Amino acid sequence: MKSSDILYLIIQVIAIILISPLLDGVKRIMIAKFQSRRGPADIFQTYRDIIKLFKRSETMPECGTWVFRTAPYLMFAIMATVIAVLPIMHSGSALSAAADLFLIVYLFALMRFVFGVASVDSGNPFAGIGGSREQMVALFVEPTIILSSVVVVFPAGGLTNLVEIKNFVSSPQILKVLPVFIFSGVAFLFATYVETGKKPFDVAEAEQEIQEGLLAEYAGKRLALAHGALILKQIAIVGLFITIYIPWPVVGNPFVSLVLFLIKLVVFYYFASFVEGVSTRLRIGDTRLAASGAFALAFISLILFVIGRVG
Amino acid sequence: MSVIYLMFIAGAVASLLLYKFQKAAAYIGFGIPAAASLYGIWFFFTNLTGTSELVVQFPVMAAKFTLDPLGAFFSLVISLVGFAASIYGIHYAEEYRESVSIGAMGFFFNLFMAFMLMVVSASHVFWFMVFWELMTLASFFLIHFNDSEKTSKATILYMVIAHVGGAAILAGMLLMSSAAGSFYFQDFKGAGVGPVLATVLFLLFFFGFGSKAGVFPIHVWLPEAHPAAPSHVSALMSAVMIKTAIYGIIRTCMWLPLNEWWGIMIIVFGALSALLGVLYALTQHDTKALLAYHSVENIGIILLGCGVGFYGMATGNAILAAAGFIGGLYHVINHATFKGLLFLGAGSVIFRTHTKDMEILGGLGRKMPLTAFAFLIGAMAISALPPLNGFVSEWFTYQSLIQAALGSGVAGTIIFTMAIVALALTGVLAVMCFVKVYSVIFTGTPRDEKIWEHAKESPVLMVAGMFVLVAACVALGLGAPYAASKIIGVTTSITGSGFDAAAGISVKAVSGSVVSPVLITIIFVSMIFVPIIFTMVFKDSTSTMRTTKPWACGAKYSSRMQITASPFTGFLRQTMNWLYRSEVHFEETNGYFGKVKYSSHAKDIWWDIIYVPIIKGFSGLSQMLSVIQNGRMQIYASYVLIMLAVFIILAIFG
Repeated sequence: MKSSDILYLIIQVIAIILISPLLDGVKRIMIAKFQSRRGPADIFQTYRDIIKLFKRSETMPECGTWVFRTAPYLMFAIMATVIAVLPIMHSGSALSAAADLFLIVYLFALMRFVFGVASVDSGNPFAGIGGSREQMVALFVEPTIILSSVVVVFPAGGLTNLVEIKNFVSSPQILKVLPVFIFSGVAFLFATYVETGKKPFDVAEAEQEIQEGLLAEYAGKRLALAHGALILKQIAIVGLFITIYIPWPVVGNPFVSLVLFLIKLVVFYYFASFVEGVSTRLRIGDTRLAASGAFALAFISLILFVIGRVG
Repeated sequence: MSVIYLMFIAGAVASLLLYKFQKAAAYIGFGIPAAASLYGIWFFFTNLTGTSELVVQFPVMAAKFTLDPLGAFFSLVISLVGFAASIYGIHYAEEYRESVSIGAMGFFFNLFMAFMLMVVSASHVFWFMVFWELMTLASFFLIHFNDSEKTSKATILYMVIAHVGGAAILAGMLLMSSAAGSFYFQDFKGAGVGPVLATVLFLLFFFGFGSKAGVFPIHVWLPEAHPAAPSHVSALMSAVMIKTAIYGIIRTCMWLPLNEWWGIMIIVFGALSALLGVLYALTQHDTKALLAYHSVENIGIILLGCGVGFYGMATGNAILAAAGFIGGLYHVINHATFKGLLFLGAGSVIFRTHTKDMEILGGLGRKMPLTAFAFLIGAMAISALPPLNGFVSEWFTYQSLIQAALGSGVAGTIIFTMAIVALALTGVLAVMCFVKVYSVIFTGTPRDEKIWEHAKESPVLMVAGMFVLVAACVALGLGAPYAASKIIGVTTSITGSGFDAAAGISVKAVSGSVVSPVLITIIFVSMIFVPIIFTMVFKDSTSTMRTTKPWACGAKYSSRMQITASPFTGFLRQTMNWLYRSEVHFEETNGYFGKVKYSSHAKDIWWDIIYVPIIKGFSGLSQMLSVIQNGRMQIYASYVLIMLAVFIILAIFG
């Protein structure tokens, strides 16, 4: 294993973790603008919020076991792991054993598992509902994520390592399967947006409806970490989308790659804020309808792939 | 090999002799199989590559046992779970001290283990069928140690389906041996079976063994029979016994000239079993019935892998076949470990709380921390969460399905891709289900104070039994490259050629994709330090932690406010009601302000669709036959006379 890859991995994850509150701040200002409110004073508001939370004292529900106590740390670490293994700065083969598509999808499942158990462990009635909804949302988007990404994996020779997928997508060969790629990309983008838990699909941590679900029982540093973990989760899922579907422009310099990645993230957040700012929350049943549409798109991309291979 | 079999038989005899001494019977009756299994683990592991034979002369027909890599692999799985279940059983048998003879329980337990081991090594049609039926019988008696009306119903259903399946297997075996002109398994391969006969044989074997494995739609007995048994027996039945059926499918179908559509058929049944198994599991309140439905799910996942294996063999692509079988066989051992673990964990909870209904439990994690931890590991492993073992085998299965999809025609590609989607959905639902099970039983506040007050950690040997399997789950996850390199040896013995399944600390799929549970663990553990560093940097020395009741919008908190098992899956049951057809009962008992009773039970609709017509048909047939057998002596006498007359006429004119 090359030591430079490990160095890049560390730089990448630290940089993204440190920048993540900034993206949240940008999002808050954008939404405020779209809704004609004033919003936070500047884009650094989320930093101040989180640091303030770290210094506050904590309350803990008396029924919480060690799962509830460690959950914010675990969720933060799981999402940091996903961000660390995404091939943004490092793109050698050394870390490819950790950057597998299915591995990342199941790391999200691990996150969901911890989230769900911690929700019920808190004993809070709202948190339990939030934990349950989180699973349902995953049920709606997971088939789309798997199907649309597998369709991209097929023409790449069935290699599921993200580095290989990225190399394939950025090579000219992708032009041969362009319609497949576009349909699956749109489906994946939709699933990504739902998975980030933004309005109108904000069901698991819905603030006004179920008191932010799991977050309701946390306070102080654990609330800060849980908040951070949820922001990281958004970045991780968007990062997965960017890695697979928007690898251009390909540059050799890892630092330039990181900057480009961050720019793509900001662009995503800009448009996502627009959607979030102008829409109202859907009920969970409507989420299912929307998700079925995305799955249909992914299925079309599969059919296109099959037809393309025959023809 | 003979030593291990004899040890189990000696254990059975010793246990029966001690039937008057309950405590001694528990130690001897479960201690001997523990020792035998431990020796078995070592023996079968060291014999994973070679082939050994054992011939025992019986007066009528010599029993021949052949232990080839496939048999040794399944024997290893049986011994591994058998070891954990035996040491667990020593203390768990106390639960039955008042009601049954532990000596008899140990007797059947030993025999059950011995017959399972003999099934996977018998290489003669007669003896295979004898041990197959004896295995079923031993488990039948073991289920009956929990005596109740429900048990009787469950065992009768179990026996009926086991016998229909057994008859199908016997018919298949006899047809096969008449085609090959021999009763020995070694003569069956390449016996020159025609395509029509081959299809008939395949269907007989698949559904015959499938009935034991719990393949949809022959799964109905599992959720009845497995919960009815004592927990360490449920662990053996659910984790190991149904695997002997997978062994049977692989063993018998390899004799036949394979057709690629059979592989696809297995995939379709696998995907259906996986999805429906987990969907029905989600609606259960009874912990053990829920786990039994998960066995249906996992058998489905195993069949997905094995289906690719058969498909590869049929299309002459031995590498693809190896890729499929490694996923299937890896999941066989994985499912054995985590399902065994979960049943033992559920048994510990029942041991201390005397209830299988999870709705009235809660908060047990504080009373039984070790059991809770073991159950959590099992729950994470069965949900295929990295870096535990379930993930590795599902990853292999995904990879083999992708390769199969790439190498097949239009219909094949779509079916294989949909199987991938089904596997992904199954994964999501399994996470949901095990979040529910773990958290409703072990976390939150107790829903029944009385049960909670009396609960305490289970005895040491029960905990030890669970932690054997916890260690196995972790080892099969982190040590995946080593395990995969061993299992690829087994698959190579089936398919004839293999590929390199391990590369350093990673496991490697046939496409060359690699994944490393160790590497991801290292990264994860180092990432844990990030939040810890944050809390240290921003720490405020004045902060202290208070514990409070959970927040309930200012109202007084009551443990009845928290979510229970049914509402946790409420959205799902609403969404999927086209499948569940829940029967909702709603009654107001005491006026407007009185308590309201509400219940909603999901039905297994396949019972009504498939089984009720069959049962009705048979009872109708019996009704019709009862005309000729109506209990009147005169009519029976006239039958004898008519028969006699017919024979006389035949003798004169024939």
